Amino acid sequence: MSGSASMPGAAPSRIDEVAFDRETKGLTGIVVKGVLLSLVTFGIYRFWYITNLRRYFWSRTIVAGSPGEYTGRGKELFLGFLVALAILVPIYLLLFGLSFAYPPLASGAGPISFFFLFFLGQYAIYRGRRYRASRTLWRGIRLGQDGSAITYVGMALGWWLLTIVTLGIAFPWMRAVLERYRINHTLIGGSRMVSTATGGMVAKPWLLLYVVGLGPLLVSVLAFLIANKFSIPADMMLPDPHKPGQFIFNPIYAGTPLATYGTVVGVVSAIFIPLAVLLFPYYRARETRAFMNAAALGASRLHSTLKARQFYWPYIIYFLTLIGFIVVFAIVIGVGTAIVASGGGGSSGFSGMHWLIMLLIIPLYLGMLLAFAVLAVRIITVRLWRAVTDSTTIQNVEALNAVLASSRRTASGLNEGLADALDVGGAIEIGF
Amino acid sequence: MNVHPSTITATGTFFDGRSARPHPVTLRLGDRLEIVGGEIREDWSLYDIRASETEPPTMRLTLAGSPTRVEFTDEALADAIGTRCPDLHVDDEAHGGVLRLVLWSIAAGLSVLLVAIYGVPAAAGLIAPLVPQKVESQFGASIDGQVVSLLGDPPLCDDPAGKAVLDRLVARMIEGAGLQVAPVVSVRRHKMANALTLPGGHVIVLADLIEKANSADEFAGVLAHEFGHVVHRDPTKAVITAGGVSFLLSLILGDLTGSTLIIGVGQAAISAGYSRDAERAADAYGVAMMLRAGGNGAALATILEHIDEDAEKEGSPTGFLRSHPYTKERAATIRRLAGEQKPHARILSDEDWQVLKRICPTSKPKPGDAKPKASGD
Repeated sequence: MSGSASMPGAAPSRIDEVAFDRETKGLTGIVVKGVLLSLVTFGIYRFWYITNLRRYFWSRTIVAGSPGEYTGRGKELFLGFLVALAILVPIYLLLFGLSFAYPPLASGAGPISFFFLFFLGQYAIYRGRRYRASRTLWRGIRLGQDGSAITYVGMALGWWLLTIVTLGIAFPWMRAVLERYRINHTLIGGSRMVSTATGGMVAKPWLLLYVVGLGPLLVSVLAFLIANKFSIPADMMLPDPHKPGQFIFNPIYAGTPLATYGTVVGVVSAIFIPLAVLLFPYYRARETRAFMNAAALGASRLHSTLKARQFYWPYIIYFLTLIGFIVVFAIVIGVGTAIVASGGGGSSGFSGMHWLIMLLIIPLYLGMLLAFAVLAVRIITVRLWRAVTDSTTIQNVEALNAVLASSRRTASGLNEGLADALDVGGAIEIGF
Repeated sequence: MNVHPSTITATGTFFDGRSARPHPVTLRLGDRLEIVGGEIREDWSLYDIRASETEPPTMRLTLAGSPTRVEFTDEALADAIGTRCPDLHVDDEAHGGVLRLVLWSIAAGLSVLLVAIYGVPAAAGLIAPLVPQKVESQFGASIDGQVVSLLGDPPLCDDPAGKAVLDRLVARMIEGAGLQVAPVVSVRRHKMANALTLPGGHVIVLADLIEKANSADEFAGVLAHEFGHVVHRDPTKAVITAGGVSFLLSLILGDLTGSTLIIGVGQAAISAGYSRDAERAADAYGVAMMLRAGGNGAALATILEHIDEDAEKEGSPTGFLRSHPYTKERAATIRRLAGEQKPHARILSDEDWQVLKRICPTSKPKPGDAKPKASGD
C-alpha cells in the first residue's frame, strides 16, 4: 500500500515504467455484459461496450505512476454513427438507384465503391484517433491530435499506390510516413510528440517476410510468365463466380508449360502465402518496437524491448483454447445427434428428447459465442496490450513534468461513428 | 465542525490540471476533503467529488467540472470516500439508464424489422409503378444476362418453326390484355421445369417445362401466370423489396460498406419468391387470360400439381413450385376461377404443339452441352 519513495500514494510501479494491470479483474463482466446486451439491442449497445472496454484498458495502464483516463461516452459514438448514417444513406440510395437505372454501372460499382470506401475509411481512422486522443487524460492533462485528415488520406492513398506498384517493397516506408504524420500531430497537453520513424528501421523484418513469404511466389510467377513468353491466354482460368479466388483451369491447356508452371505457382502460393501470414506478427512486433523507440515528447523518450514472441503467444494460446472448445462442442453435438438418431426413427415429429437436445444446444451455442468473445479480449487483446506496455519504459521521465495543459477544443465523436459504420475502427488499438 | 466521528488522513499525489507535475499532498477527509501540500491548498465539498475508474487500490478523485485530479492508494480513505460522497459515481453508466437504452434499442430494432417485413414491400408496391417503362426494360435486359450466366449459360432454344409457334401463341394471349409492355419470351435448355419473369417483361422459360407439360394449355397457363407477374410488376417490386430489406438489415447490423447491396440486386431478381398474394393474383390473371384467349383455364392447376409431385419424388430443391407449398389450395382456386367450361378448349392445335415441343433442336439435351445453334438476335 505504500507508494514509491518519490511519489507517495502513486500506484505501486516504478516511475519510469509503463505497466498494465496484472489481474484484469472485472474485465470478463464487461465483455459478457457487452456481448449479451449487444445481441439483444441489435448491436446498438456496442458503442457503450467499446467505451467500457476503453475506459477499463486506459485506467489500468499506468504511465509514469499515473493511470490513464478515458472520458469518452457511448452516447458520443452512437451519435457519430447516426451522423455517418445520415451521410452514407443518401449515397447508397443514390448508388442503388443508379445501378437500377443503368445496370452496366453495377459491374463497375465494385471498384468505385472500393475507392470511395478506402478514402472514407482512412479519413475515419484519422478522425477516430483524434476523438480518442481528445478523450484521453493523463494526470489531468488532455491529449489531442491536430493535422488534417484529408492530408492523411492523400498520403495513405499515394503510398498505398506506390506500395502496390513496387510489389510491396515500399510497405515499411509507407508505414513509417503515416506513423510520423500521426505521432507528429499527437499532443499531450500543449506538448507535441515527435517521431523519427523511418522505413529503414523496419526494412529488415519486412524484407525477411518479403523474401521468405512473397519472394518464392514472385519468382514462380516470373518463371511462369517467362515460360509462357509473357503471353497468357485470356481464357486460361475460368473464375468460379460463387467462390472468389477459386479458379478452374481451362482443360484445353493441359500438358503445356502453362499447366506445368501454373501448378508450380499454385503449390508455391499454397505454401508461402500462409507462411507470410504467420510471419506478420513478427513484423508487427518489430515495427511496434522500432516506432515506439522513435517516439519522443520533449526530452522524454519511449524505449521498447518488445520481443516478437510476445506477439505470437497470445494467438497460439487463443487458437489452442478455441480448438479445445470446438472439440467439446462437436462431441456434445455428436452425442446429441446420436441420441436423436437412435431415439426418433418414426415420423412422429419432435419428441420430448428432441426438444431437450435443442434446449441444450442453443444455450451451449450462445455460451460458446460468449466464451469466444471473452477469450478474444482476455487472451489476445489483454496480452498484446500488456506485451507492449510492459516492454516499454520512459527515458528521462522527469521531463514529462513540464507538460502543460492546452486550451484546445475537444474533438467530436462524429467521425469515429463513421469508422464504426465502415467497420474500420478497432475498439482497442494496440500501440500508439 | 466534524459531523463524522473520524477524520481520515492519507498521502497522495495531486495534479492541478494545468501541468503534469505531480504534487505530493496529504488528504484529510472529514466533512470536506482537504488536500494540502506545498503550495496546494484544496478544500473540496463531498457532493462535488467524482471518482474516475482506476484499478483498486488506486483511487483517483476529481472535482466535478474541473481538471484537477488527486490519486491515492489508501484503502481506508477509499472506503470512507465511497460512503461519504453521495455523487461519487453519478457519471457512471449505471446512472445513465442501461435498461432504458436496452429497451429503446430493442424497440428501434423491432420497428426496423417490421418496416423491413411490412413497410418495404408496401413501399415497393407504390414505387414499382413509378419506375419508367424504359428504365425497367433496360434493367430487365441487363439482368437477363446475369440470370442466364447464373443458370450456367444454358443455350437458347430457337428452332425457327417452334419459335414462330411460340410467338404466335404469345401474340394471341396478350391480345387485348392491356400489358404495359410486350413480353419478351425466350426458351433456354435447362433441366429445371421453371419459368422466370424479370423486370421489363422478360420471361425466361426453361425447356424442361415444355417437356413436362402434357398439353399446350398447361404450358400456356404457366406463361399466362408469368404475364400476370409482368402486369403486376412483381419482379420490379421484388428487386426493390430485396434491395430495401438488405439495406435495412445492413443498417441495423452496422455494415454499411454497401457492397452487398449492389451485388444483391441481380441476385434478388432470381431468388426472390413472390408473396402468396402476388401468386394468387398472377394465377387469377393467368386464368382470365387463358379464358379470353380461348384456352383451358384449369390447365395451370394440372401442371402445378404434377410438377409439384415430380419435385417431391425427385427431392429436387429447385423448380418454381418449391416455393409454393400451398399448391393444392392454389389449384382449387384456379379450378374455381376457370369454372365449368368446354373441357376440350385448346389454345394450340396438336400439330403446332408438337412443333413447339421441338423448339429445342435436340430432344434430350444435356445441361451444359456447349453446342447451341448459333444464337441470333
